[in-house]
Amino acid sequence: MLKNYFKIAFRNLWRHRVFSFINILGLTVGMTACFLIFLYVHFELSYDSFHSKANRIYRVVCDIKTPTEVIKAGGPSWAVGPHITQDFPQVEAAVRTTDDELLVRKGNVKFQELNSLWADSAFFGMFDFKLLKGNPKTVLQEPLSIVFSESAAKKYFGNADPVGQTVLLTGEGFTAKITGIMKDIPENSTIKADMLVSMSTLTRKLNPGLDDQWGNYGNSTFVLLKPGTRPADLQAQLPAFLERRNGTEMKKINMYPTLFLEPLKDVYLRSTRNGNNTGNINNVYIFSWVAVFILLIACFNFVNLTTARSAERAKEVGIRKVVGAVKGQLTGQFIGESVLLCAISFILTLVSTALLLPSFNHLAGKTISTGIFENLNFVLILFLAAIGIGSLAGVYPALVLSSFKPVTVLKGRFSTGTKGQLLRKALVIAQFTISIALIIATIIVYNQMNYMRRQDLGFNKDQMMVINTNGDPAKDAFRNAVAGLPNIKGVAMASSVPGGGNPAAYSEIENVKGVLQIANLDLYFVDFDYIPQFKIKIIAGRAFSPDFQTDTTQSMILNEAAVKMFGYTSPAQAVGHRFKQWGREGRIIGVMKDFHFRSLQLPIKPLSMRIEPNGCSLVAIKLSTQNLPKTIAAIENKWNALIPARPFSYYFLDEFFDKQYRTEERFGKLFLNFSVLAIIISCLGLLGLASYSTMQRTREIGIRKVLGASVPNIVNLLSREFLKLVAIAILIASPVAWFAMHGWLQDFAYRIEIGWWIFLIAGLIAVLIALATVSFQAIKAAIANPVKSLRVE
Amino acid sequence: MIRINDLEKIYKTEEVETIALNKLSFQVNDGEFVAVMGPSGCGKSTLLNILGLLDDPDSGSFLFNGIEVAHFNERKRADLRKKNIGFVFQSFNLIDELTVFENVELPLIYLGVKSDERKKRVEAMLDKMQIMHRRNHYPQQLSGGQQQRVAVARAVVNKPKLILADEPTGNLDSSNGNEVMELLTDLNEQGTTIIMVTHSEHDARYSHRIIRMLDGQTVTENILA
Repeated sequence: MLKNYFKIAFRNLWRHRVFSFINILGLTVGMTACFLIFLYVHFELSYDSFHSKANRIYRVVCDIKTPTEVIKAGGPSWAVGPHITQDFPQVEAAVRTTDDELLVRKGNVKFQELNSLWADSAFFGMFDFKLLKGNPKTVLQEPLSIVFSESAAKKYFGNADPVGQTVLLTGEGFTAKITGIMKDIPENSTIKADMLVSMSTLTRKLNPGLDDQWGNYGNSTFVLLKPGTRPADLQAQLPAFLERRNGTEMKKINMYPTLFLEPLKDVYLRSTRNGNNTGNINNVYIFSWVAVFILLIACFNFVNLTTARSAERAKEVGIRKVVGAVKGQLTGQFIGESVLLCAISFILTLVSTALLLPSFNHLAGKTISTGIFENLNFVLILFLAAIGIGSLAGVYPALVLSSFKPVTVLKGRFSTGTKGQLLRKALVIAQFTISIALIIATIIVYNQMNYMRRQDLGFNKDQMMVINTNGDPAKDAFRNAVAGLPNIKGVAMASSVPGGGNPAAYSEIENVKGVLQIANLDLYFVDFDYIPQFKIKIIAGRAFSPDFQTDTTQSMILNEAAVKMFGYTSPAQAVGHRFKQWGREGRIIGVMKDFHFRSLQLPIKPLSMRIEPNGCSLVAIKLSTQNLPKTIAAIENKWNALIPARPFSYYFLDEFFDKQYRTEERFGKLFLNFSVLAIIISCLGLLGLASYSTMQRTREIGIRKVLGASVPNIVNLLSREFLKLVAIAILIASPVAWFAMHGWLQDFAYRIEIGWWIFLIAGLIAVLIALATVSFQAIKAAIANPVKSLRVE
Repeated sequence: MIRINDLEKIYKTEEVETIALNKLSFQVNDGEFVAVMGPSGCGKSTLLNILGLLDDPDSGSFLFNGIEVAHFNERKRADLRKKNIGFVFQSFNLIDELTVFENVELPLIYLGVKSDERKKRVEAMLDKMQIMHRRNHYPQQLSGGQQQRVAVARAVVNKPKLILADEPTGNLDSSNGNEVMELLTDLNEQGTTIIMVTHSEHDARYSHRIIRMLDGQTVTENILA
């Protein structure tokens, strides 16, 4: 019996291969998109969950209340880690980490190890990073101990065993011993490093008071709670803990921290304190919904196309019933055909996913999956999903088909009439609504991206090369040497450039009331050339100038946001007032126009600038566009001559700044791709229906032509009903999309307005696509010879 | 075998009420060959559908081998039908996606007959109808006469007690038509009851008794020699 069904199912599929093809194609595209998104979502949700103790690990974060703002810090002060284990027995262990760029040298091989991490000794006890060599309990205990990742070890030691050997940390000026090798940290970890250095190096050798520094921030702290401990209970006791340990100091400097425990597994997706190295749970939700929608569209197609064809199968149903089949058997047969179709789609999905995976990894910016068979569970889930879809989507058409009465179908012309047409129309409307909403969303996303990129940032970043000297004593000599090279338009030194981070300083600034107001002000250390080179506008007072001796230690420039923070109504008002910051005091000599020193997603914070040669490690070089490679080579020569111990590395500021938008850009690209997919599937469905509808009306068209209808008349007639559906879809999609995108745009401090023209364009695109899809069939029908179409009867 | 009494069937649409069968009564005995004739719209097809348990009457009684079947549900009707009745249609009504062999096999599949047994019976039937050489062909590849032979084979493969034929020669030329009528006569002589709806006086003469209908009722009954 099953064999019989299979045979018929295959032959049916083959006989109506255009429809079968459209159906299978639509389903495959839908399932592929879903599968890829599923892999992505699964990956994003998997961050940090591979640690066996993940459920008991929490990141300690800190809200610091200052007189002017609440700073949301990603970590507590240095003293919290060591003391929290002393004061709370329910804290099994505490590990502090801080990242760094360390310069490492072994013999002649020297590299700036960007992914270095200082870590407390309990690191390998808390986290499940696998140690290939070395004892997890002792590997990070002694000062000057280093653990290399497998790849880093290969880089320095080739195939030799590195344990026990030494490397020179030239930046710090000391020799460290390799105590262990760890397996490369997987992609889905928020803690990433190629090299770990024992924290005791800092706390016992280089910075002995660090464990008691309650006012010093800049590390990440993780705690492991004993089983059964409720984090909320511990968190409630922390204010008393801070008060007990550091109450007086907090009052004195008027900065009050509050500690919170973030579950480790939430850090990647849900924490807002990670800067740019973060995933976004909203993106995960959005893509999950996109996957659901795409699958829905594909299923709607399937139901629509299958039901529309029911008239062709009616005769077969009638005959089978006459010959003895009952409704249940027929329902089973048709559901079986649906499942078969889905099974074929499943196989094609596997193929297409495997082919698309490399491009998808590239699009997402990380290796989400190395192959579809990496995790066989996924394949199984997909298979079950395909069967499930086949069964569910096949139920309705199967029920419709198996309910035909043999009496009705066997004698005389059987037509499906209006039965089921309403459902089919509703499904097409639903598909196009989803597609149009996606088009609108994509247009808005791209507009926002372009807007951010084209924004006047308030400073000039063209042809700006940045080199980090890491405070090398020869940095000034290097700067002067570069300034003398040809094709150099300018050289400036600073602690920070826009798009990079910058320190924040405890500052006291005289406000409009004449009182020294405490604030945690963002700070740039600069030199005299910085402001003119970056074309930052001074709108009150003056810029730094070597003509003024006092500028080197007693002058500060604020931006407009800072001026506002201190209550001044105009920039000019602020000039001349006092400041105290990090051991320096003096007067505000000028006010600069706000410029975007952070990404456009964030508002412009108050910023202060001072001259401080010792604080400037970055060399910013403005290059002319001529002879770029030659110029760069010349700069490299100067570097190698003056600072041979450090490797020469540079970046261009505009690329660096753009990196901030990478997540959003990727989001935009992925979104675009999936929108296109959704539209393709919808069009496939529309194509199938249009073909079918045209075929159904062959006789009607023949009669109309005989009576005098022209080709345009017929095309109009056939297209009209579909365009009506698209119009309804536009009406529904627009407000829905507006609402959703309005919400998304709220995340950006600087955003576009959603113009009405966006909806117009989206609607036009939809109409054009629908017309193109339908018109081919319509024209074909309109030019057919009416004799042929009328003869059949 | 069949006794119907006061059978009524009314088709209702929104505006019009059509009385297809108007208190129809007659009976058919085992082994009879009965022809039902009448103009278009007299209710012949409706009668055949009800006799074939494809439709149910609005009122009246229908005794099939002594069992009242007038208000059987679909499952019971299908059951009775597949065990006892074979159909031959004017437009053959073969399934285009199945081969000749598979078409004839179909009733046996729904009867639950095992594969080996099915093969035996189907081959025997195809042989009898002299279309064994076309067993793997599809209906579209056969002539009208051959298709009807396949249809008859299908109708008879489950050894039904009753065959209902609806204008069996309607789409055939005269020589093929005669062939089919000979087949039916043969079957009847072997004991199968046949009720045939026809327009053709010529075909009707193969039967034992002619029932003429008009407007949903029997008008005359002729017994042929």
